[in-house]
Formats: sequence, structure tokens, C-alpha cells
Amino acid sequence: MKHRGLILGGLFSILLTFIFLIPPASAAQKGTLVVALDSLGGQNMDPILEGRASHAHFQAPMYDSLVGFNFEKGGIGPGVAERWELAKDGLSWTFFIRKGQKWHNGDPLTAHDVKFSLERTMSKESVASRSAALRRNVKNIEVIDDHTVRVNTNGVQVHFPASMSRAVFQEGQMMPKKYIEKVGAAEFRKNPIGSGPWKFVKSVPGDRVEYEAVDYPHWRGKPNFKRMVILLVPEESTRVAMVRTGEAAIASISPEAIKEVEAAKLKMISVPATMQAVYYLWGTYRPDQKDNPVADIRVRQALSMAIDRQQIIDHVMNGKASWPMPFATFGYSVDTDTERWREWTRKAFRYDPKRAKELLTEAGYPNGFDLKFANTALPGTPYMVQIGLTVADFWSKIGVNIKYKHYEWGAFRALRRGQKELKGAASMYRTAGRPIAVARYTSGFMSKSLSHLFGNTKKGMNLCDELCQSFDKLSLEVIQARDPDVRAERTNRMIEMVANSWVAVPIIEGMGYWAINPKIVGAFNPIPGRHEFGDVFERMPRADQKAWR
Amino acid sequence: MRRYILQRLWQGVILLILVTTIVFFLGRLTGNPADLMLPEDATEEDRQALIETLGLDAPIHEQFIIFISNAVRGDLGDSHRYRTPVVEIFFSRLPNTLMIVPAAMILAILMAVPLGILSALRRGGLIDKFSGTIAVLGIATPNFWLGMVLIYVFSVQLGWLPSARMGGFEHYVLPTITLGTFLVAGFMRLIRSSMLDILDSEFVKLARIKGMSETTVVWKHCLRNALIPVLTLWGVFMGGLVTGAIVTETVFAWPGIGRLTYEAVIFRDYPLLQAVILMDALLILLINLMVDILYAYIDPRIRLAE
Repeated sequence: MKHRGLILGGLFSILLTFIFLIPPASAAQKGTLVVALDSLGGQNMDPILEGRASHAHFQAPMYDSLVGFNFEKGGIGPGVAERWELAKDGLSWTFFIRKGQKWHNGDPLTAHDVKFSLERTMSKESVASRSAALRRNVKNIEVIDDHTVRVNTNGVQVHFPASMSRAVFQEGQMMPKKYIEKVGAAEFRKNPIGSGPWKFVKSVPGDRVEYEAVDYPHWRGKPNFKRMVILLVPEESTRVAMVRTGEAAIASISPEAIKEVEAAKLKMISVPATMQAVYYLWGTYRPDQKDNPVADIRVRQALSMAIDRQQIIDHVMNGKASWPMPFATFGYSVDTDTERWREWTRKAFRYDPKRAKELLTEAGYPNGFDLKFANTALPGTPYMVQIGLTVADFWSKIGVNIKYKHYEWGAFRALRRGQKELKGAASMYRTAGRPIAVARYTSGFMSKSLSHLFGNTKKGMNLCDELCQSFDKLSLEVIQARDPDVRAERTNRMIEMVANSWVAVPIIEGMGYWAINPKIVGAFNPIPGRHEFGDVFERMPRADQKAWR
Repeated sequence: MRRYILQRLWQGVILLILVTTIVFFLGRLTGNPADLMLPEDATEEDRQALIETLGLDAPIHEQFIIFISNAVRGDLGDSHRYRTPVVEIFFSRLPNTLMIVPAAMILAILMAVPLGILSALRRGGLIDKFSGTIAVLGIATPNFWLGMVLIYVFSVQLGWLPSARMGGFEHYVLPTITLGTFLVAGFMRLIRSSMLDILDSEFVKLARIKGMSETTVVWKHCLRNALIPVLTLWGVFMGGLVTGAIVTETVFAWPGIGRLTYEAVIFRDYPLLQAVILMDALLILLINLMVDILYAYIDPRIRLAE
């Protein structure tokens, strides 16, 4: 009996030890996160062989990027490199690599891997979306020490770090130098390793990619699920059915499925500002189009005023879209006076059919005119067709006689080259949400770009007038301005120039839509502007960890 | 018979050459894969670089010669999109399709043969009306919609079967019904009408006069003759289903040949498109050859005509 106190004390100590040493059940990794997607692109696991945006779904879980995300606000943030700085002469960027990172085979991730990855992405074999631009912009890459790497650029490239983040492009994905050199590219493609929070397990083309969570702390977050399977399920109603039955935890959806998802009491996440639906007016600068009504700025402005954007937001997008800002400008855009532009678009994009008709009369078209309209939808945004049809209806209401034609996206992109059939015509378009606006502006308006909406100088013909030349000069200044204030001033001028031209006019700001089974996945926040969840999966809790409110 | 088979094989070779040539040139009229692979802000220079990487910079006739000379050695090239040999991709997907198509065929035959015969024997009766309704519904119902309804009822509401994807036996039920419903209707109507023609023919009357039992008349004499057009239709359907099960494969997330063909077209993946159509054509030719041979065995008039 006299030892009773000792025995009880011992038992109590053991109990306390268990309580403190063994993690609670909810913190352990368990279960499988099943994600159903509409597309897996080419389903290539080698970053240099994938040029499509879906890499941000299925490559992002296993590969880290040199520059990462700002998870709260959107845009760029620390990644494999925890910080970076521009040289005084502006001709090189130095990246400081985060210490303690490792590949899935245990090898350390060093500056040598960074140099190797960038050079591999720049190689001739690479079809990564911006590989050619990288070849143009990068002079050479130097390893300073194991945790420092310097990229010498051809000219000043102020946005270079941003292009190393999946927030903008895919070119910053890190690949293991030692492993690839040892096993060869072919074996790497079959059994890739990365440094991300998910390890590759298996890829079945046209069906799925399987992953296993790393069991050590990772700077992006240690996954809460033990395994993950990303499925290709092309039909939307099947994806929703799978989430309803629990066969999938998450599925990408379009606005058409929103009501079904809400009726089924599933959780719906709308990622803000992932895209803008836009219409373009092509070739308005061309001398042979000078008599085309759309060559008159009043007509172009009237076309915008004829569109009731709120109706499109409420009825076509089921309320899950926002009023747009100027072309390729979003709340998280850098070097941009977002408040100014938000206010400007509120007024400039107003629905005013009466004023639109007055403008047409002033321009000499009181009875309207014929307008060719090429409607199309980019992959992943099929609802753009419906937006295009609605826009055509609004234009008809002010007397414009629409010559409507629908194009499959691939056929439309071929039309863009040469632009013979698009001269003086309108078309639908989309810009993806990216924090650096200038890339979208140069691709739409610079005289060397494929779209060159302000003019070009190809084949000895100089169709680049004053506006076109000013734009070319200004966009180069934006790219090269090292002073943030000067860069912001130039960026806002560039936005203004395009906004006042009325040749690329936003219709709505769209979102990324996901159906979620709340019994499997708990509450989480997406990255603003990033539709794809490849950098979010590891931060998704299980339902038993964090319930939805 | 040997001469007949050789003749059919020779025709097949000519047809394959024609299909290859047409697909090669027509495919290229629909656009360049570089346009779909490049980002929005690509320049003309980026486009040219990618075209060179994909091997599409040579004149089209040179590309054709390269393609043909590689094809005769069994190399149909690498997919632009998947970056792996197209033959490998085709044969990784073919078994998936071959798992549901025969299942749908068996379902169709098991349902259509008895229903077709009974409808013909009880013309205007309850069974005939019932099977007529089934036939109209089967033909008129888009299998896309049918698949979605089946998923809603049996997966979402009742929870008896999985919504989609390949897996155990239970995964085959809904895709098989979806794919087979149209076939049931088609076969049943054909068997019924063939049976009606044959039941009214002179040799059947003679068999009955000779005192043969009704079972022998129906199952031995009538059905064998009624199956001749069905066999022809079976060959056409079988070939069409292997390549054209795209709707069922899309609804049920089934990674088969139909979806592969669709993806090749949408992404302008020329090597994959050429390979898939060439292999499909070869498959259809083989199936049709098999049917023709069977046809000749079943119907002696064909052998005699040869």
C-alpha cells in the first residue's frame, strides 16, 4: 500500500509522456486526396516537355519553382530562392537559395541544380512555353556558391524573377542535376524526382497521376493527406457526380455547374481574378480598313457601352464573376494604380445603350453597320462562347448587324497569323490572371507580337504609326525601368494607352471554379489569381482537421 | 476462297495507302500544333523555334516522304503532345477500348436475338410492341445523355455503382449498358425484319409442309439465314465502336482509342492523328475481312459466285 502513491505517480507520468510525445491523430498524414480535372495537357512529367498551363496542376505538386507565390495576396513570393537582387548595372540577377532543401532521393538541392534547370529549360529540346524567350533574355548563368546563383541577362530584365514563378510562367521549375545526369533523360521521364511536397508514384497517360506525400517538413507545407491522385475526367457532370459520391474530393467546374453544385450541398470555391474575358478589334490601324466603322474610335467606344456587363456577370456567370479592370489588369497587378483603374472602369465600362447609339450617329452610322464577329473559347473556359453570344446580342440591340462565325480555338489561332480574315473584325479572347501586366500588353500590342493590334512592320511594310511606335517605346521602358516609381508611371501610361484605344476591351473578370466534398477536404484558401491548385494541395486540410464554416 | 481472301487483302493495302495520304495532307490543313503549344506572348521567332523542334520546318512533301519511309519500317513517329512513340500510346489505350466494346456486343446479342425472334413470331403482339418501344428508345436516346442519367441514378442516388473510370467488374456495368443500348435496338430491329422475310419464304413453308418441328424451322432454318445481314452489321458496328466509342469514353473517363483520336485532332498532334487513323483503318479492315470470310462460309452463294 505504501508504494501506491509511487505506482500512481509512475502511471500518471507515462500518460503525460504519451499525451505530449504522440501527435494527435488529426496531425498524422492519412487518406487519399482525389482530384478530378478536365485536362492534364500532355501529361508529361518532365518540365521541359510540357508547354500547357495544366503543368500547374500536375507538375507543381512535385516540382518547386525558383520563385514562388505570395499565398495571401497572389503574385510572386519566396520559392526555392528565399530572396533575389538586381545588380547595380541592372544586367544580372542574384538568387539566394533557401538552405536545407532536398530532392526526393535525399540529395541536397543546390545552386548547381538551379543553373542546370535553367539551362535545360533553355535547351533546343525544350518546348516549355517561354523557353525561346529565356534563350533570348539569358546571357549565362554562374554558380557563386552552393546557395547563390547569378543569372546574367541580355539587357535589363526587371521582370526576370517573376518569370521564374508559376504565378507567371513555368520556366522556374527545378530539376535534379545529379539524378538526371546519372539516369538519363529517358529514365527521368519515367521515374521523375522533384523537391516538392509530393513525390511522384505513377502516371497512366490519359487517366491519372499518383503521388505520395513527403513525410518531412517542407517550406511549402507538409501535406495532410498521405497520398494524392489527380484524375483526368473530361466530362463535367461526371466530375461533379464523382465529388457527390465521394469518389473524388475536388473537381474543376465551369459556371454552368455552379447551381448543381450548390443544390448538392457541396462546397464551392471561386478563385478570384483568374482571367478576363475580352474582345479584340483587329487591324483597325490598317490603311485598307480606314473606311471600316471600327476604325473610328467613337464606334469602338459605342460597342463597349452597348454591353451590359452586370447582366453577363449575373446570368451567364451565375454571379461568380467580377467587374473587370482595364486589359490584363487585376487587383494583384504590380506597378499598377489599381484603385485608379477600378474607378475608371466603373464609369468607362458602364452600360449606356442610348449614348452608344448617339456615338454611332456621330460617327455617321445611325442605322448601324455590318461587323464580322469570330467567337471562340480557349481550352478550360468553354463558357466564353456563351459570353460571346451575349455580347453579339447586345451589339445587335444598338443596330450592329453581326456576321457571326464560331471557331474552334486551334482554328482561330491559325487565323491570327496574317490576320487576313480578321481585318476589321471582332473576336473573343481571354487573358489569364498574371501579376505582371506588361507581358500581356507586349503580346497584344507590340509591333513584333503575333497579335500586333496597334500595327506592325513585317515584310518591308511599315504599318506601325505613331501610336504603335509610342507603344513599342513605352513597353520597352516598362521592361527596363529599374526605378520602381518610373516603372509604375510607365506601366500606368501603357494601360491608359490601350484602354483609350478601345481595341482590346474587357467584358468580365472571371474566376476559377471548384466543387469540393466537405466531408473529405477541410477549409482552405486558394491563391488569388491562380486557378490551378498544384501549389495548394499540400495546404489542404482533411475534413477532420478544419471544418468549413 | 483463297483468291477471294487475297483479293480482299490487296484492296485493303490500296485503301491503307489512300487513307495514309489523305490523313497526312488533310490533317495539316487544320492548323499547326505550334499555334496551340505556344503561350499568348510568343513571337514569330518563338514560333519558328518550336516548329523546328517539332520537325515541321521542312516542305510538306519532304515531311511526307520521311513519314512514309519511317512508316514502312514500323516507326510512325513521336507524339508532339505526349513526346512518346505513337504506336506505344495506341497500344496502351487499345486494350481499354477492347474491354468495353465486346462487352457491349455480347449484351446486344444476348438481348437482341431472343427479342428480335420473339417479335417476329408474335408480330403485333405484346412482346413485339414492347421490343418496338425498346428499339425506338434505344435508337433515339443519345448515349451521352443515357450515360449521364445512369450515373445520376445508379451512382449518385442509389450508390450502387461507381460513376466512372476503369476498375473492377462494377466499373464495366454502366459503360457497357450505355454503349450497348444503341446496338440492342439496331440488332433487334434487323433480326425481326429478317426473320419476318424468311418466315414468309418458300423454303420455310416447304419445311413446315415436310412436318419439321417449329423449333427446328425457327432456330435452324430461319435464324441462320436471318443472321447474315446481322453479321454484316456486326462488322460495321464493331469497327465503328472501337474507334468511335468516344462519347462513352468521355462520359465515363475511360482512356480508350476514341478519346485518343479526339485529343489528337484537337491538339493538332499530327503523328498521333496519322497513327491512330492508320491503325483504326487497319483494325476495321481486319474486322471486315473476318466478317467477309464468315459471310462466305455462312452463305454458299458468295463462295459459288467467287
